[in-house]
Amino acid sequence: MNMFKDLDPILHSQLRLSIVSILMTVDEANFTFIKETTKAAAGNISIQIKKLQDAGYVKIEKTFKNNYPNTTVSITSKGIKAFEDYVKNLKKYINPQK
Amino acid sequence: MDEKMTPEESLFLITKVIEETKQRFKENGHIIILWGALMFIVFVSQYILVLSGLYKLFDIAWTCILFPLGGIYSFIYVWKKHKKNNLPRTIIGKIIETMGWVVGINLMILGFLFRNKLGDAVAPVFLILLALFFILTGISIKFKPVIIGGILLNLMGFAAFYINGQYHGLIMAAGAVISMIIPGILLNRANKNEHV
Repeated sequence: MNMFKDLDPILHSQLRLSIVSILMTVDEANFTFIKETTKAAAGNISIQIKKLQDAGYVKIEKTFKNNYPNTTVSITSKGIKAFEDYVKNLKKYINPQK
Repeated sequence: MDEKMTPEESLFLITKVIEETKQRFKENGHIIILWGALMFIVFVSQYILVLSGLYKLFDIAWTCILFPLGGIYSFIYVWKKHKKNNLPRTIIGKIIETMGWVVGINLMILGFLFRNKLGDAVAPVFLILLALFFILTGISIKFKPVIIGGILLNLMGFAAFYINGQYHGLIMAAGAVISMIIPGILLNRANKNEHV
């Protein structure tokens, strides 16, 4: 585990990394879209999104759409920077000489 | 489980999720084919109406009914597709949508309000503006047939300046086939093949 010490622990988790990867592709995504794409349980997604929000990587907006609660998540500039650094570090591990 | 993810697995996961997300937005070419067919019908029929001397009677009916109907249908189709699949908005989607509206409204204004001022230049200007839309759309969605169709349409626009105005309807109809119907069918086929 120590081997990956340069990898951001917030992003180095399957579900959190999937959520951030989705948010790097779209402007913003609602909870249902994230659930359908990651195929993870709603409760788990909520917990991971909260962790990402606490780290300042994502922004959550709760509204109502046709009388139903609608949660929209978008990535922040801090999240984009963290993702880019994470990918850079991944590449370093895969191709150490570069 | 998460801690055991190797850098290779992480990179694979990122690529897989981004690809899956993009896959859900893939356009099937349906709207491009529809507009190509509408343009083809309108301009070929206009050409026939001009030849038969009935142009003044039916021209407005065609353009005033078919194009707005196409606009309403496109709007409902895109709205339903997004609602049904819970699709979020993407920057590329926003750019293409905005370009479509801007180019479409400008073409309508040019066609209805400035037709007399532009004279025979209406068709070339129409084709060049439309070509810019398709070139930029093709680059955005990274689909060569749309880019090539746009470039050919652009060249047809400049060539139209040298062609007698009475044949402009036919050039526009040919432009619809080259830049919309053919690339639209190829886009549809490419999308279907990816799902096989």
